[in-house]
Amino acid sequence: MRHCKQIVDLVSQGMESKLPWSIRMEVKMHLLMCKNCYRYAKQLKFMQSELKTIENNIADTALTETAKKRIQQSLKLAIHETSND
Amino acid sequence: MTQQSPETWLNDHGDLLYRYALLRVRSETTAEDLVQETLLAGFLSWDKFTEKSSVSTWLVGILKHKIVDHFRKHRHEVKQVQADELADDILAYQFDSEGHWQVDLVEWDTPDTQMDQKQFSKVFKLCISRLPQRMADLLFLRAIENVPMAECCDLLGFESDNQLWVTLSRTRVKLRQCLNTHWFEQG
Repeated sequence: MRHCKQIVDLVSQGMESKLPWSIRMEVKMHLLMCKNCYRYAKQLKFMQSELKTIENNIADTALTETAKKRIQQSLKLAIHETSND
Repeated sequence: MTQQSPETWLNDHGDLLYRYALLRVRSETTAEDLVQETLLAGFLSWDKFTEKSSVSTWLVGILKHKIVDHFRKHRHEVKQVQADELADDILAYQFDSEGHWQVDLVEWDTPDTQMDQKQFSKVFKLCISRLPQRMADLLFLRAIENVPMAECCDLLGFESDNQLWVTLSRTRVKLRQCLNTHWFEQG
């Protein structure tokens, strides 16, 4: 039987890859019996879904006006060059 | 379908693309360059755009490729696990010598209002920025962008799949710990 410290690693790995059936079952059983690991697994899932959309929720980061202008000019130049090809 | 100008895109989606890039590359200049490259690439391949997706989704898709390219160009030289990624350091105080939790995890009250969500995302961003660079790279490349294992190992300098899995798990332990301290325990 694996202990919590090992289950924590398997929960993480299981989010990105398919674990062998027997290990998946063991993790499942462990989570049913262990409140801390159950909460840990739930919190990882929550973190994962938040991470996928975080750029939509951090409005305080934006391009500066200077950066925008610079990008705009470079784009103009690049587009001009490609249309001349 | 009308041709759109990258300048309009810059105004409409520039900030979103910038945030997306900055979270991943951690350098304002690099993030700005990536936005520019993305808009130009979008302009040049506009004929491939289908209205099945929105323009912003499509541009983020292009940006993802640009970011992976960026990592290819600046792959991690270090072939060893860094001291601050060291597994047992991070876990030592959470587990006893037999591998059982030493602390009781509290249930998280997930943010439910928009105000809360915004505040929470700020804290989340802070916690990500506190991760060692390679851990953050790993989190985004593997867990969010689903870059294949072999390529992840190669780009980030992991010697084996197992080393990558263990580091990814430690990354999550660290991130969870930071969120727990700076958000969920604040009440």
